[in-house]
Order: sequence, then structure tokens, then C-alpha cells
Amino acid sequence: MTATRPTANQEAPQKPRVHPQRRSLLEAELVSSVAWIIKLRWIAGVGVLAATWLVENLFALDAAEVSLFGIGAAILIYNLVFYLVKRRLTRRVAPISSYYALAQWQVALDWLAMISLIYFSGGVESPVIFFFLFHIILASILFPTRTAFGFTFLAILLLTVAALLEYFGVVPHSPIRGFLQTPLYANGLYVSAILLFFSSTAIITAYLTTSIQANLRQREEEVVELSENLRRATVRLQALNEAARVVGSTLNLSQVLERLVRTTAEAMGVRACSIRLLDKSGRRLEPVAVYGLSQTYLNKGAVELDANPLAREVLSGKIVNIPDAPNSPLLQYPEEAKQEGISSMLSAPLIGKDGPMGILRAYAVEPNRFTPEDEAFLAAIAAQGSLAIENAMAYQAVEALDQAKSQFVRMVTHELRSPVSVIRSLMRTLTGGFAGSVTPQQKDILERVARRADFLQSLIDDLLDLAAGKIDVREREELKPVALRGALERVIRRFEVSAREKDLRLEWFDQTGGQPILVMGTADILDRIFNNLISNAIKYTPPEGRVTVTLARRDDEAQVTVEDTGIGIPEESMPHLFEEFYRAPNAKEMEREGTGLGLTIVKDLVTRMGGHISVKSTQNVGSQFTVTLPIVQPYDAIEADEPRRLEGAPG
Amino acid sequence: MSNKQILIIDDDPDQRLSLRLPLESAGYIVHEAANTAQGLVAVKQVKPDLIILDVMMDTATAGFQLALDLHSPDPKSEYKEFRRTPIIMLTAIHSTTPLRFAPDEDYLPVEIFLEKPVEPEALLAKIKELLGE
Repeated sequence: MTATRPTANQEAPQKPRVHPQRRSLLEAELVSSVAWIIKLRWIAGVGVLAATWLVENLFALDAAEVSLFGIGAAILIYNLVFYLVKRRLTRRVAPISSYYALAQWQVALDWLAMISLIYFSGGVESPVIFFFLFHIILASILFPTRTAFGFTFLAILLLTVAALLEYFGVVPHSPIRGFLQTPLYANGLYVSAILLFFSSTAIITAYLTTSIQANLRQREEEVVELSENLRRATVRLQALNEAARVVGSTLNLSQVLERLVRTTAEAMGVRACSIRLLDKSGRRLEPVAVYGLSQTYLNKGAVELDANPLAREVLSGKIVNIPDAPNSPLLQYPEEAKQEGISSMLSAPLIGKDGPMGILRAYAVEPNRFTPEDEAFLAAIAAQGSLAIENAMAYQAVEALDQAKSQFVRMVTHELRSPVSVIRSLMRTLTGGFAGSVTPQQKDILERVARRADFLQSLIDDLLDLAAGKIDVREREELKPVALRGALERVIRRFEVSAREKDLRLEWFDQTGGQPILVMGTADILDRIFNNLISNAIKYTPPEGRVTVTLARRDDEAQVTVEDTGIGIPEESMPHLFEEFYRAPNAKEMEREGTGLGLTIVKDLVTRMGGHISVKSTQNVGSQFTVTLPIVQPYDAIEADEPRRLEGAPG
Repeated sequence: MSNKQILIIDDDPDQRLSLRLPLESAGYIVHEAANTAQGLVAVKQVKPDLIILDVMMDTATAGFQLALDLHSPDPKSEYKEFRRTPIIMLTAIHSTTPLRFAPDEDYLPVEIFLEKPVEPEALLAKIKELLGE
């Protein structure tokens, strides 16, 4: 029994599904009515006793006293029984059928009590005849229309039989003596009139009450149905929303898949859900995410498209609803589905921009579980899911590619390094005269070659730095709190000699008041950042100039400013300053060699530390680079700040 | 002229040559080994006064491992007579391995690290210092 979308659910006649919530509401109504009638009956029983007493003592009438008291007492006694039964039913949460039986017993006994009351208070002459109408109203409230009318006709029948039996003298007349001067029970016209009016009043009462009740019930059912629909719609909307959130929240493929199956199973309220994706061959489906299925079922074997008509149909773009999985010819593994306890399945295709990717499938224990709304819902989830899966896959691919590229660059760069390093070493032996003496001209040529080799070396080193910076975050060195001042001072010390040789003043100002300044990074990263900036400043500042390094604190940020009185940066070069291999024309003029990678590396490293870099410059006046880094609290510190050695130190 | 024996363990013949030339011109007797295994054999044969060792050979840390073997504090070590033999380790500052080497005075007492490419004058100065000349 299988069917694709258009004919789904038209087979296997369904029992009208009574929704649990609706049944419980109607149940609750019957239960409360039963309790209410029991309460009313206490009043009725006491009323009968009191009325009898009043009739006897105040109006000095003579009724069939014993019988009437007996009926009153009987009402109270059987009401007590009903009360106890009801209490027991309430305690153990009895099925609704028990309440229904209880209600029927109540009405039956009430009818008996009522007709007895009528009989002993004068039969057709009785003033209590019309009390029957209350009973009819109650029965109409309690029971469906047909049962209510049944009880109505039973009341009419009982009264008619009693009247006739008295009329024909089969049973003795039992009037309230002194109530009527002339007995009327034998008056055919009167009896017929009373019966006629009673019957019509009873039927009309039953009709009106049941109509109102039926109307109310229908409304109530509609409300319950509507609120149920609303609830289901809300759950699904939430699930769709969740699916959409999954799309946006993570690019981790396994997380996306896992959340999709869980969300789907929970939203549809079914046993399990799975996602199978096509493998590279495009002929097999591999389970990639599963919720609620046993390992045994998953290990059932490969899902091969050639052997699996269901998979082929779904991948062709159809939503396939299988109401009776163990007997479906579409399934590759019907026996395994049966063992797993799966009776129905609903499958939707996952379609990417390059065609089908896989199948999203919901599994239910109940046969014929999935409705057309479920189909629409699963299709919507599958559409959202396809997008999420595709995004995550694309991201994964890009990530892998990026990593492979970085790895490649690192390897190539390393391979370039060793020969250049050896060339430089060998050149050194020649220029140093360790391999015999060379002529001044040869020496000059050798030195030029050596310079070029040195440049090649620094270019390769910079490229290696750049490539290292672009390696995936997980592979990078762990950032930890490091002392900024110490790192800065180490770099400044390193340049003291070269600054002096070039007749430059290298100044260092600490404006933080000596408090520890910790930033997230590594000593190596800080070293490379300031090494680049300070060496640039020295390189591009003519003799007798000044290079000033300042450390300051602005709230939660540390600011390091490297300022020089150098050649400055032409305005048109500013936008390109941090571009790879870019060098300003005046910089090229002053220093022929330079990779144009230094500032790119600096910016990359500063960004990695969560900071930023800015630059101000006027050509022929000087440049000012400011690095801003977020400060971390000292209690996170691993490495304590070093005491200041430069400022105020002698020499 | 010194007649001290120096063993160069490096897998790059050109690198070995660039080291040999300045050393020989300074009067040292130079021996070469092209890998760790050869190096260990040569150490026993030559009984060098000083070893120049490339850190990165067969593996990224092969030289490091060799230095640890030679300088093992184990009294039963087969190289115990070389425990105090100075070793100059040649490293590349831009190492592709995440390991960054730095002299650890507690653990490797007689090792010196030199960055490649080696400046001949600097190398000779270091050797003189290590050999106490």
C-alpha cells in the first residue's frame, strides 16, 4: 500500500481520529455534569421529604405518606451510592464509559423515582407531573440527542401507562386526599388532555434543549479543533523557525544535520528522522544524521539507488508517503523496517543547486501516520535544510581549500628557503675570503649577489609569515595574555645600535604610569609587529631625525604610537599602504629593496590580536602609526609585566 | 694553528661546504656526516672537540634528538664521553614547525644555537669561545 503525493491517504479508510485533547474536554464536561446532577439530587430528595411533610402537617392533606417518604429516602440513598461511585471513579481516573454508564443509571433510577412520585401523589392528577420536565432537560444536557429523546418518550410512556392503568382500574388510585374534590383520573377527557399536553411539552422541551446543546457541542468541538490546529501550526512554525535558525547559526555540517533531524522528529511528534546523502559515486545513500533509530536498523545495509525504488522516486523530486512500510514494494529493506517497529514513512528530497543531494525522512510507529499537512511541512523543512546543508558543505570545502593553500604556500616557501640560505652561506665564504682571495671587482659582484640573495631571503620570510597568518585559526598559536611593555622595550633595545649608527634619536615614552598592560597575543606576534614598525621608521627617516615610540592607555585599550620625522607617505599611496607587495614610490626611491609585505603582515597580526592599526602621515614631514590593542585584566595573566628598564635607567 | 677536531652533521652538502671552508681556513680539522646515523658513528670514530649540528634533517627535530642522545645525563649512555662536548645547533628562525627552539640552560648545558645563514666570522668567534681558545 504505497502512494505518492496526489493519492496519499486516500487508501486505508481511516477511523475518524478523535484527538486526545478534544475527547478529554468532552469527558470533562460529562464528568462535571454527573457531579452536578448528584448535587441537585440531594436537594430533590430532601425536597420530596419536606414537601410530603408540609402537605401532611401544614395543609392537613392526606397523602400516601409512607410511600412518599419512602421515595424521598430512596432518592437520597441511591444518590449516596452514586456519590460514592463517582468519587471512586474520580480517584482512579476511570475511562469515560464508566461515567456514561453512571449517568444512564442515574437517569433510569430518577425516572423510576419520578414515576413513583407521580403515582403516589395522584397519578395523572398529581401536581408534580411537570417536574418530569426538569429530568428531560437534564437528560438532554447529559446525553446525545437520540438518547435524550429515548428518555423523553420513556417518560411519556411511563405516565401514559400509569394513567391508563389507573383509568381502567388495574391499579388503585393513590391521590393526595383533600387535594381535589372530584377525582379526575377516571375522566377520559381530562386524562387525554393532560397526556397530550404533557407529551407535547416534554417533546418540545427535549427538542429545544437538545438543539441548544447540540449547537453548543458543535461550537465547542470547533473551538477545540481550531485550538488544536493552532497548536500544531505553532509547533511547526517553531520547527521551521528552528530550521531557519540552524541555517544561519552554524556552518558546521554535522551540527546542521544533527539539529535538522532532531527538530523534524520533535516537531512532527514522530519516532525518528534521518538524513541520507548521496556519496561521491551518486549511486549510494549514506546515513549522515539520525534521530531515534536503532544501530541495528542503520546497519541494515547500503542504500543503493539501483535496488531502492523509493530512494529513486524521492530523489526525482517527489515527496513520498508510505502508509504501510513493512508491505511496501518500494522499500529495499521492508523486513528490517518491520523489526524496527516502523509502520509509516514520509520522505522528502534534499535538493541543492546542482540537483538532488539526499533524503530527509520521518519514521512513525503508527501506520498511515502522515497527513497532507505533514507532507507540506516536511517539504518545507527539507527546502530549508537543503540550503543549510549546502552552505555548510560549501564552507567546509572553502575551509579545506584555504587550508590546503596555506599548507602549500608554507611548504613551497620552506623549500625556497633552504637553497637561498645555502647560497647566502656559500657567498659569505667567498666574500670573507675563506675560499681564496678575490679581486676587488669580483668582490663587488659577489657582494651584489649576496645582497640580492639576502633580499630574496627576507621576501621568503615575509611570505612565510603571511602564509602562517592565514592558516586556519585552530592551527595558530594559542593567544594568551602577554606583557606589552616588556615586548616593546625588547624591540626598542634591539634598534638602539642601528638608530645610533644612522644618527637618529630613538625615544621611548611610557604614559601608563608603569601599571601592567596585558594584551591577548604571543610575545612572538608582538615582536614582529613592533619590529616591522620601528625598523620602517628607522629605515625611512633621514639622519638627524627622530623616531618616537609612545605607550598609552585609553580606557580598556592600549595604544602604541610609532612616530618618525621621515619621508612620509604620499597621499595617493595611503589607500594602498596595507596591500600586499605595495611600496610607496618615495620609499622605493630611498630604499631600493623591500618586499612590500611588512605592513600587510603587521595589519594581519594586529587584527589577529583583536586590535586595529591607523596611520597619519604628511609627505616630507613624517609618519605616525598607531596600534590599538584591547587590554585584558591582570588576573588572566600568565606572564607578569617586566619592570621597566629603559626609562630612567642610567646610560 | 689549532688542530681541534670538528664534526659537521648536516644533510645538505653545500651547507657543509660553506661551514667547512671558514673552519679549515682557521686551522680546524673538519669531518662531515650527512645524517643522524652517520653522525653517531662518526662521533665515536672522530671523537670531535666540537659538533656542528643541523636541527632539521630527516625529521624536523632529528638534530635535536641527536643532541639529547649525546648529552644524555644517563651514566650508562654509550655516548657518555661526549656529554660535555659542545654542540652548535643550526636553526632556521622561520621554522615551519610550531616548535621554537631556545637554549635551555638547565637541560642542555653546552649547546649554542646559531641561525642560518651562518656568518663565518660569528661562527668562528663562537667556536673559539666554546673551545676556550
